[in-house]
Amino acid sequence: MRNLGNPHRATDGVPITRRDLIAAAVSGAVFAPVALGAEEESFKFGLTPVFLSNDLELLGHLRSYLSARIGGRIELVTRRTYQEITALLVSGQIQSAWICGYPYVQFKADLDLVAAPVWHGKPLYQSYLIASADRKVDDWAGLKGDVHAFSDPDSNSGFLVTRALLAENRQLAGSFFARSFFTYGHRNVIRAVASGLAQSGSVDGYVYEVMRETEPDLVKQTRIVRKSEWLGFPPIASPKSVANDRRVRALQLALISMQDDAEGRKVLALLRLDGFVATGPSHFDAIAAKVEIVRQFG
Amino acid sequence: MKLFWRFRSIPVSYRVPVLVALLMVVISAAISERVLSRLSRTQESFLNGLAETYLDGLSSAVVPAVLRADVWEVFDALDRSSASYKSLAPIETVVTGSDGKVLAASDPNRIATYSELSADYRNRYGPDVVTIDEARLTGFAHRDLVYQGQPIGTIHATFDVSHLFAERREILVTLLITNGVLAALFALGGFVLVRQMIGPMRVLEDHMRVAAHGAAEPISSREIPSGDSEVAGLFRGYNALVHAERERANLAMQLAEEEKLSSLGRLASGMAHEINNPLGGLFNALDTLKTHGETPGVRDTSISLIERGLAGIRDVVEAALATYRPERSQRPMTAADLDDVHLLLKPELRRKRQRLDFSVAWNGARELPIRGGPVRQAVLNLLLNASAVTPEDGTVSLTAMSWEDRLHIEIGDQGTGMPADIAGILIDQDPGPAVRAGRGLGLWMVRRVVDDLGGRASIAAKRGGGTAVTLTIPFDREDTKAHAA
Repeated sequence: MRNLGNPHRATDGVPITRRDLIAAAVSGAVFAPVALGAEEESFKFGLTPVFLSNDLELLGHLRSYLSARIGGRIELVTRRTYQEITALLVSGQIQSAWICGYPYVQFKADLDLVAAPVWHGKPLYQSYLIASADRKVDDWAGLKGDVHAFSDPDSNSGFLVTRALLAENRQLAGSFFARSFFTYGHRNVIRAVASGLAQSGSVDGYVYEVMRETEPDLVKQTRIVRKSEWLGFPPIASPKSVANDRRVRALQLALISMQDDAEGRKVLALLRLDGFVATGPSHFDAIAAKVEIVRQFG
Repeated sequence: MKLFWRFRSIPVSYRVPVLVALLMVVISAAISERVLSRLSRTQESFLNGLAETYLDGLSSAVVPAVLRADVWEVFDALDRSSASYKSLAPIETVVTGSDGKVLAASDPNRIATYSELSADYRNRYGPDVVTIDEARLTGFAHRDLVYQGQPIGTIHATFDVSHLFAERREILVTLLITNGVLAALFALGGFVLVRQMIGPMRVLEDHMRVAAHGAAEPISSREIPSGDSEVAGLFRGYNALVHAERERANLAMQLAEEEKLSSLGRLASGMAHEINNPLGGLFNALDTLKTHGETPGVRDTSISLIERGLAGIRDVVEAALATYRPERSQRPMTAADLDDVHLLLKPELRRKRQRLDFSVAWNGARELPIRGGPVRQAVLNLLLNASAVTPEDGTVSLTAMSWEDRLHIEIGDQGTGMPADIAGILIDQDPGPAVRAGRGLGLWMVRRVVDDLGGRASIAAKRGGGTAVTLTIPFDREDTKAHAA
């Protein structure tokens, strides 16, 4: 689950390295201590807020549905950035989480895929480059020299796709854009572009299309400059360390059969998703390729 | 000064309301000034307080973001705060970093992120918390962001203060309308009050004006207010004056009538004497005729005597008729008028064995353009007076002389001189007091004649004793013209 808007984020914008995450996990200074592998403990499912206006409603339905299907106490863990949730997951402090394809590719060795959401019939989505609605620009090259708003340094659609596009064209984000900043939320990218704070932005196509319905006035102030190719939709993953936990399999079943249940359908309706399917790691090869392009170019 | 006198000439019933209205205008101006100045101070302190709160709240929200130069967080804080501080009506807020460049503005389209802030922005602040630009109806405030004693940036805020001026304007208009209505009401009240107060004065004024042109009338009891003792006292005092004046006038008329009768009596007795004197001679002549009528000499002499005696009686009767018949008094004056006076005076002169120096210098015209009747009466009165004050065997004098367009008549006596209060009847501007004393009514008639004819009288002491009264009577104007033509 992606962070669509986080007005109260308190962490700074410096990307967290893998070493930082592990150090934080070991020290336990950042996260509440949990007893790993203890089935009596509540099942912790990590996610970031999706739509601010109905977050609580969505969380209520999701907890109720998962609780009924998995059994025992379900704890929904929300954090403000992708990095925080990724760190909790990779360190095994939570049993499962809805993360982005980019951190999944980065931590593939430590994670198992549980399911991927289906949107418009496929477990795929796009990344959009957007600009203000009144701007006359035909393609991404016209965005050179802009102040650009990225979503999150751990976001595929809100950062990696644009960075890879520039790398493919022998460009660095730091020199192609005059300035860039992170808003830590796809909704914030749209707000930044709509208000004129940024001249262009990189945003999740799924979030953009859903907001076209939920906040048409805001979205109307922007236009799409470029849509990326179809990429693997952000998946639900678990750490390999809890592969034997029956609740992880129960979670997978609950997600895949969500549309068969009334409470599950409410969750899907709020998320504007068709359902969930089980996918293999190859589903994220295109994203892995982008990581590689970026890594090679620097 | 001129304006002041002009103002003084406005009737009091308008002057007082105008003064009341002017006073109200001055008072309302003073009150309005105080209210607006107080309001202005209250608004400013309120605005300062709000601005301080706004800047405090915003500072704590943006300091961590400014430290990290986090554009989005700063913008997000500005965006949220604009909705939270509606009463302050922030128009624009800009946060700059330590290098002075814009981190975020509430409207990034107007002031772009990472741009340099214009000098106008940096130099627009005064010493107060909020600097107000009255021309643009905006207020400015700024707050330096300090972290661990180091300046890390600045918040520049612009507020809409038009509502403050609108409120002041609204209060000013309310004050003006309220005070205007009050001033008008007070002025109207003043007008009504003054009219009511001076109403009795107008009644008095009307009565006095009527009195000046004729008979003074007392104020009717209906018009005397029962409650207002001062006005009632004034009216009653006026009525008492009118009554006293009427009594005096009645008394004067009565006295004048008596005087007239008394002088008539004297004249009548004189005339009877004048007629009686020749009557003895006439009866003698008749006896002579009866006895010696056949003698031609005696008869002729007797008839001649009777004729002369009857002629004398006729002259006396004619003179009296000419003097006292009103229809004859309108004809022009001739020398015969003075001869008649001489004739009428004769019995009195004879009684006192006095002599009349009679000197008339006529200008040759047969008659003068002066009404003869009144002059004869005035001269006769003066001669009777002169005769009364002149001792027996003395001399009274009458000198008449016409000169250019007027007639001078001087009557002299050998008396001891005229008392000043009596003389006043003839020569004073206002003969009233002497007349009201009930004395010298004969002279009062003379005065009336002289005034009526437009002439004047003077009194002088004669050399060698006695008094001379001189009447100067101008010719009638129309008749003068006719005469000249």
